[in-house]
Amino acid sequence: MPNMKSKKGAGIMSAPMIKIEKLKKSFGDLVVLKSIDLELNKGEVVAVIGPSGGGKSTFLRCLNRLETVDSGSIAVEGNYLVRDGVYAEDKQAKEICAKMGMCFQQFNLFPHMTVLQNLMAAPKVVKHIPESTIKPIALELLSKVGLADKANAYPNQLSGGQQQRVAIARALAMNPDIMLFDEPTSSLDPELTGEVLKTMRDLAEDNMTMIVVTHEMGFAKEVATKVIFMADGVVQEHGTPQQIFDNPHNERLQSFLQSILK
Amino acid sequence: MELLFEMSEIMRMVGPLLEGCQVTVEIFAITLVLAIPLGLFLAMGRISTIKPLSKAVELYNWVMRGTPLMLQLLFVYFALPTFGVRLSDVSAALLAFVLNYAAYFAEIFRAGIQSIPKGQYEAAKSLGFTYAETMRHIIVPQMIKRVLPPVGNETITLVKDTSLVYVLAMNDLLRAARTIVQREFDMTPFFIAAVFYLAMTFVVTRVFSYLECRYAKYEE
Repeated sequence: MPNMKSKKGAGIMSAPMIKIEKLKKSFGDLVVLKSIDLELNKGEVVAVIGPSGGGKSTFLRCLNRLETVDSGSIAVEGNYLVRDGVYAEDKQAKEICAKMGMCFQQFNLFPHMTVLQNLMAAPKVVKHIPESTIKPIALELLSKVGLADKANAYPNQLSGGQQQRVAIARALAMNPDIMLFDEPTSSLDPELTGEVLKTMRDLAEDNMTMIVVTHEMGFAKEVATKVIFMADGVVQEHGTPQQIFDNPHNERLQSFLQSILK
Repeated sequence: MELLFEMSEIMRMVGPLLEGCQVTVEIFAITLVLAIPLGLFLAMGRISTIKPLSKAVELYNWVMRGTPLMLQLLFVYFALPTFGVRLSDVSAALLAFVLNYAAYFAEIFRAGIQSIPKGQYEAAKSLGFTYAETMRHIIVPQMIKRVLPPVGNETITLVKDTSLVYVLAMNDLLRAARTIVQREFDMTPFFIAAVFYLAMTFVVTRVFSYLECRYAKYEE
């Protein structure tokens, strides 16, 4: 028998970490997302792969309101950010988005702040946590990403890989339940991607729920619990890494894999 | 050969010229202190998504930058009384200068704000910052570094523009010099005034160099 109890009672334990239904998004006449569904439980890591312009980044950006969707639903731990195209009121929407941290392809660190200040800015300004409380937490996060000695450096004094690890730590400082990664290694030299991927792997081992838009097939294979192949605004195929990489059914996926493995 | 400038002559003239300097510095300092915050305020309005507000500021900036400052001075002092607003010469001068310079600062700040990459807003938003918090903690601090050179330019211009208050018969540095020249047919006060102006712009230049150095500690 289906559970007919009120959502509030059932929400916390049984609701998936994030549930996305029939997500649609257009820019003018260009339909970028045609109808996307995805459900993730706590600790799952989903890799979103696919050709450029296929809607991967837009999809990710819709999840934390960097883009507004046209229709569909997004619910985090049972709370709707948007339900059938209607957004929650601003205060609630902010609370839901606060559960998601994001890392960008271009890092987007705040250049006028030191690494430590980058980590402490949001907790201080947004959550009003005093510096004395957040500072040890920030320093611990920095040592977790292997950059404890860079606390007082400015972002431009760091390599790209170090900057991205700071960006990860900065997002973690807000204590999110879900981490969104938008091509986190795409603007890095090959020798620097490894350190960022290692940090992300550590995060996955800590049971963080992650959605990763990536071109790193190795990462998708080894770390992801689920792989989504997106093209033309549609999830063409999804499944475990084994299913996607070893036994692809969709034609687009087959040719995509062939082209990148060459 | 006679000395070009007699030392005792110069000392006699320095007194009234220093008094003129006082007026000049007063107009300069008060204008700067009031026009910069007003300019920032106008810049925020200019980039606002509220169309009527943005348009109103655009119109304001056009009028203020599109008519001579001297005309604005004359208007505030001589034309406003016909609308029932009567101001002292100092108040009229300050009002005209602040309103005029705020428009220039507003456009400098607007350009500075708009030069900050979109990614900074997105990162701030993804961390939960509101728009106002993003402006205050992320965008404006970065803007300051970028606008220092044009703001320095504008500030040096302001030092010299203060000489326009002579049209309101105020005894600023230049007018004090001219009074002596006309009375004594001696050009020395012009040279002394030039030295005073150079001294003031030197201070302004050094202050801005210092600020640029301080902001050079980070790069973008």
